[in-house]
Amino acid sequence: MSSTGIQRFGENLRTLPRTLREAVSRTGAPTTDRARSSFVFGNLFLHLHSVRVHLWTFRWSTTWGLGIAALSAFLVTLVTGILLMFYYKPYPDAAYWSVKDIHFVVPTGKFIRNIHRWAAQVMVFAVFAHMARVFYTASYRKPREFNWVVGMGLLVLTLGLSFTGYLLPWDQLAYWAITIGANIAQSPREVTDALGVTATFDPGGLVRFILLGSEEIGEEALIRFYLLHVMLLPLLLGALLGVHFWRIRKDGGLARPADADRRVAESPVPVQPTFTDAPRKTYQLAALVRGTSPAVGRAPEKTVPAMPHLFYAELAVFMLTILVCVALSLVSDAPLKEHANPAVPENPAKAPWYFLGLQELVAYSAFMGGMGLPTLVVIGLTLIPLLDRETDGTGEWFGGPGGLPLVLRSAAFGLVTVIAIEAFAIRFGWLREWFPDVPQLVVTFVNPGTLLALAYAAYSLLCVKRYDSTRAGALALFTCFLCGFVVLTIVGVHFRGPNWSFYWSPADWPAH
Amino acid sequence: MRANKILLLVASLGTLALLLVAVWRENVDRDWRRIQRDYRSRLEREAAAGFAVQLRQLYVPDLGATDRCISCHVGMAPGEHGIAGDPVLGPHPDVAHDPADFGCVVCHDGQGRATETADAHGSVMHWPHPMLPARHAWAGCGSCHTHVAVPRRVELAQGLALVERNDCLACHVLDGRGGTLRPGSAGVAAPDLSRVGARGFDRGWYDAHLARHETAEAETNGPWRTSFGPIAAEDRALIEAYLGSRVGAPELVTAKATFHELGCRGCHKVAGVGGDDGPDLTHVGDKDPGQMDFHRVPERTLASWLAAHFRDPAAIVPGSRMPEMGLDERQIELLTFYMLSLRRSDQPEAYWPKDRIRAERFGEREFATDGATLWGTFCAACHGPSGEGMRYPGAAAFPAAANPDFLAIASDRFLRETIVHGRPGRRMPAWGESEGGLRRAEIDAVIAHLRSLGGVPAPRETEPLRWVDGDAAAGAGLYAQACASCHGERGEGKEGPALANPRFLAAASAAYLVESIRRGRRGTSMPAFGAASPTHRVLADDEIVSIVSFMRTWEEPR
Repeated sequence: MSSTGIQRFGENLRTLPRTLREAVSRTGAPTTDRARSSFVFGNLFLHLHSVRVHLWTFRWSTTWGLGIAALSAFLVTLVTGILLMFYYKPYPDAAYWSVKDIHFVVPTGKFIRNIHRWAAQVMVFAVFAHMARVFYTASYRKPREFNWVVGMGLLVLTLGLSFTGYLLPWDQLAYWAITIGANIAQSPREVTDALGVTATFDPGGLVRFILLGSEEIGEEALIRFYLLHVMLLPLLLGALLGVHFWRIRKDGGLARPADADRRVAESPVPVQPTFTDAPRKTYQLAALVRGTSPAVGRAPEKTVPAMPHLFYAELAVFMLTILVCVALSLVSDAPLKEHANPAVPENPAKAPWYFLGLQELVAYSAFMGGMGLPTLVVIGLTLIPLLDRETDGTGEWFGGPGGLPLVLRSAAFGLVTVIAIEAFAIRFGWLREWFPDVPQLVVTFVNPGTLLALAYAAYSLLCVKRYDSTRAGALALFTCFLCGFVVLTIVGVHFRGPNWSFYWSPADWPAH
Repeated sequence: MRANKILLLVASLGTLALLLVAVWRENVDRDWRRIQRDYRSRLEREAAAGFAVQLRQLYVPDLGATDRCISCHVGMAPGEHGIAGDPVLGPHPDVAHDPADFGCVVCHDGQGRATETADAHGSVMHWPHPMLPARHAWAGCGSCHTHVAVPRRVELAQGLALVERNDCLACHVLDGRGGTLRPGSAGVAAPDLSRVGARGFDRGWYDAHLARHETAEAETNGPWRTSFGPIAAEDRALIEAYLGSRVGAPELVTAKATFHELGCRGCHKVAGVGGDDGPDLTHVGDKDPGQMDFHRVPERTLASWLAAHFRDPAAIVPGSRMPEMGLDERQIELLTFYMLSLRRSDQPEAYWPKDRIRAERFGEREFATDGATLWGTFCAACHGPSGEGMRYPGAAAFPAAANPDFLAIASDRFLRETIVHGRPGRRMPAWGESEGGLRRAEIDAVIAHLRSLGGVPAPRETEPLRWVDGDAAAGAGLYAQACASCHGERGEGKEGPALANPRFLAAASAAYLVESIRRGRRGTSMPAFGAASPTHRVLADDEIVSIVSFMRTWEEPR
């Protein structure tokens, strides 16, 4: 007897979970590698991965998971940020009190805000570290040059997101950090003033005005920063992230040495013959990839399916990042100082930590520290993959002529130079202290920042000549700048007190 | 591959554990939750059943108050009765203002929005308004009652003595005292007088009391008969002045009267009235401890800083010109207390108390405006309670304004101009309405009081102010011989005061200058040049005139 409608309904109800699963995933849970490949291809989010991943990718030292860590931190800030938006009111005064309420009254509000703040810090740190990793493993080379450029855009957006978030609590820390930031934006005025053309041509003032929407930091500035922080920059970042990941796949996965196949161990998981069956659309899609497809003419033994092996690795980094953010949030609260008060300047007023290296240079020349040198550095970094067209050492840590010894020597040179120049300027002052009447343009072009940049550039050219290699020069220059950045940042964070004077420790700061 | 799986497991479990810690902290381990659970466990069963552990707040939009203090001090929440005697859970003491209508922070300061003990009490980094300590709680009245009028301190003491002597406290309660009827006498529950100054009282109270006293005489032996009797009119006036000062904060009134009595306003402005030799104190109780130097102060509180500062001003504020006043501990405590009450909140006008409206809208003074009070409040700190001139360690002596020799030749006009414009370059500030804030009538009252201190009537200014027309060149020579050693070669002042001061020369009449030289000034180093002396030669009248003529040349623009 055929089943009744009631029985069929019962049966349908029983299989509802499976039907739902199949409806969502189109195929149901994949059980074979082939099905998994098909599953990855067929999923909007997963198809950003290659279907099969080379075993080189799984070595922890290949990436240290830094890119995924940065993405994870971004996702954490995204989720916590949306939660915070439910309570945050982007208007002066109301903003401060709403953050107070988030801290004190909103259930888990303090915790969420702490996570948001720490995840943002982790993200900035991870992005810097990720950039250094890609540089030192020479992973930016053809065909990945453009992805490096996209990465530079992501770096700038990350800093922009962090900086715009700084103003939102509307406390003293926020107000005066943004004051510093806005004045840095205005720093081209130093040059136009010196040339006497500010009245007719004032790009610095214009940038500052566009940033603040007013001459003062007020409600216009707050709503601008809010809009940038919660909408414009995240959307741009999301779009660029998509391009970034898509290009990883299209450029053939992570960069690896030419002899990577030989150097990785045998696959720890049984490798099923994948492409022995009748070809399906996999081939057609793979044919779009530049170069030869990994499966054609070569054995695929040194690759494993992305699902599940790569996903475990990615999820592990993701959870580890969350663990770090949550742990930091339980230990240390996000700062919230007094209500913003334009009449009581913070002394010292410090920008966010990742800008303190710049602020240290700004103390000598606002234009060079705030605009000139950062622009040069960003342009220089962007040009690296276009100038370095060598192939030696791709995918290797400190790969290329010179290698680790060159990096260590460069680090020594970079550290000694920056510490020497800083120590000299702190001990003996600079042009302005010696010759009070010296024209500002002279100081703009002759200051510790520019001298440091010149020394690094000269050293780098020397390395290009000595090793007869652009990569060697890049290694030297990048290492030097990294050292300079770290030292200047530490000086700005720890050794600068009221009036930007030098103190061995914040405990020595004079009382107000 | 396997390591990644293990890492994923460990990281996930670790995150889960930390989230559980966060959940526990949020839902169990909050100060206010613990305290409210404790409160509930100490309630009667029925009350406990209706009591929910929840965040509580007082919200008064007009005052900008969002005060969550009652989340811990739950006994002070509307509808709760509290646990008497418990420092945290006790009910709010009986005060004029219902906390439900005003919130907490408006009086006590602290951080009303905070829900953790340290943050709420405000003695944390980055909170500029820590709570007033309990012993100074009444200083919070100053946030709104900025202009409570106080009589002089001696009048307060006299008033209290009269209230006690006339047995008012037999029936009435006043500032927590009295209301104790004598044993064996029938009681009369009389009104509590502790806030009678704020509420106002029937000016016919004496006649009403007297009528009851006289009718009672015939009938019983009760308190109307035994405790009340006729009171002299001047005593009644003192009693009424005293009652007028009973606004529910007796210590604050005493402290303010002490501040006035010590003459602090001679150098310090409060609400636009006072000298400008020291900092304006209008907002001193609002100072942010985070912006202050506590290096030489025992405790990191504003009260501790103020007390240490009163003991030795220059030790706390290097370079301070404030003299060591030689205050006793009680005075230091009162002054500290009054300083803490000098705060200004910007409440909407609808919330202003009467005293503030009377002062800011109708110009009523917060001090009595008779000459003696004004002299004590604004002049005595430098010129002395009887005009004898104060001498503080390490500071130049202040002039004895009541010196009879001075008052005999200083006209009222000269005194008034000197008071109104001050003496630039010296410590005497200008007291005119736009500077020191004193009005014409008040300055005249001060002058009249000064005359009564000196006991010398005002000289009559009949001659023109500038009749001197002598030989300035000859005067220059005489000045160099006789005057320059003390007053400086160009009148810039050395041991003696500067004479080339433009304000002084503008105010001083020729007669004043001539007579000063001729008669000298007893009690100072200024000799009488018109009289014979072994130390200097006698100056003839025309020689004195020529000296004055020479002094007048300093007035001309150079």
